[in-house]
Amino acid sequence: MNKDLDVIVSRISLLFKRISYTQYWIEVVNDKYDKSYNVFFCQQKKGSHLRSTPVHKIDEYKLEYLEEVITGFRKQSNLTIKYVGFTGEVWPNSQKKIQWEKNHLE
Amino acid sequence: MFTDKEPHGVFFLIDNKSFYASCEAVERGFNPLKVPMVVISEARNTNGGLILATSPAAKAMYNIKANVSRKRDLPIDPRLLIVPPRMNLYIKKNLQVNGIFAKFAAEEDILPYSIDESLVDMTHSWHLFGDSPKDVARLMQKTVRTELGLYTTVGIGDNPVQAKIALDIYAKHDADLIGEINYESVPDKIWKIKHLTDVWGIGSRTEKRLNSLRIFNMNELAHANPYMLKQEIGIIGSQLFATAWGVDRSNMKYKHVTKSASIGNSQVLPRDYNQKIEIETVIKEIGEQVAARLRSRNKLTTHLSLSIGFSFAEATGNEKNGFSHTIVIEPTNEDSVITSQLLFLFEKNWVNQSVRNIAVYGSGLVENQGQQLNIFDTPTRQIQNAKLNGVVDDIHKKFGFTKLVYATSLKEGGTAIDRAKLVGGHSGGNSYE
Repeated sequence: MNKDLDVIVSRISLLFKRISYTQYWIEVVNDKYDKSYNVFFCQQKKGSHLRSTPVHKIDEYKLEYLEEVITGFRKQSNLTIKYVGFTGEVWPNSQKKIQWEKNHLE
Repeated sequence: MFTDKEPHGVFFLIDNKSFYASCEAVERGFNPLKVPMVVISEARNTNGGLILATSPAAKAMYNIKANVSRKRDLPIDPRLLIVPPRMNLYIKKNLQVNGIFAKFAAEEDILPYSIDESLVDMTHSWHLFGDSPKDVARLMQKTVRTELGLYTTVGIGDNPVQAKIALDIYAKHDADLIGEINYESVPDKIWKIKHLTDVWGIGSRTEKRLNSLRIFNMNELAHANPYMLKQEIGIIGSQLFATAWGVDRSNMKYKHVTKSASIGNSQVLPRDYNQKIEIETVIKEIGEQVAARLRSRNKLTTHLSLSIGFSFAEATGNEKNGFSHTIVIEPTNEDSVITSQLLFLFEKNWVNQSVRNIAVYGSGLVENQGQQLNIFDTPTRQIQNAKLNGVVDDIHKKFGFTKLVYATSLKEGGTAIDRAKLVGGHSGGNSYE
């Protein structure tokens, strides 16, 4: 297993508390300015504000590598993954669209 | 005009709009102006959460003021994004921003004023980049936006104080995020400021003193008698008069020399401490921190101060809200000496009050040029003690502070381990990167 995936999985396991009426998901951001992929753990209790905690910064700025990490992550967790900053891009291996529509806050 | 003889130049004071919130927005791939976001420190001593920064959208939506509001004042709204602070990230971004400014001016012409503000002397270089200072300011804004994603506001002035007032009063409300003041426009732009406290250097106390002199706005300040101001308020009175006329003779390149430096640390405790042993644990921890900082600067302290602030409940209904005492000691930077003296000061002055703030300062610093022999200790013992402190410092430097702590820090009330992760009093965020 690669190191970035290890870090992401271990940190998320600490944050994922499985509280009822609470949504949890992962946000993966294409940081064009810093040339990195940033991973955030988001949670939102019904009707309450959204809380976003930084989990990791993947410095290897290649989509192939990110796809590898995400595939590895998928095998270990069923948390929803939302993508930001990837509009128009496709996964190099599976040729699927990464992000379907642009986030209105981008 | 008499201001013709005052120093003229082109100064930019550049501020990052809602800096912490903008950095966090950019990290999340969002536009800093669009996302309603607050940065909240939820450390144990913040009494439920302290708002460090608010994005422009959140300010507009909820009318939140930065750094005074508490988390409990926030409306509960699903659109609002709450994020923890990462001080190390902000320091990194600040360095990158200053790196961009260095493309427009020589490095010695850039003075970082705070984590999100920098003063840039563009006198010698602005004409290389555009037809007017405003054009250059716009170009700098654009460069920062395209390279880092951050929005900046720029105050332009003939000297630093004009740039600062242009930034605070005009740039933040301008569509271009640029404000401009020069000597000619001072009557128009500075004298028309209605509230004295809006101006840099005037707080509520100074405002009260000016009010007592029948000065209620900048126009009245500019037309007051400067001799009267100096007589009534002292040197600050003359400074305020100069500010009102947009006069500033400061030289950016002049390095300020501190007359008497001191090294100290302070902290707000996570709750009221009533037990003597708990308070003593924290005093020891801070004492050791100060001693370690003295050693790393190769200094010895001769004056040791301990300040204790009582809890809110203790201070109300009591004349004193704390005490502060200084003791003169033999020059030292040794843990054991410093902590024992601090505990002595504490025991002498503390009468069972509950405590919320603790500060320790070492002043009267002298160079560490060898040890003073002492008739109560053998020289070998003294040397051994000094060596031991050095070894502890080396271990801290190499492996991190939390890898070697006194057992007392693990007891109830100890704060050293939690505080080791903080930068500038807030979460550094490095544990996540």
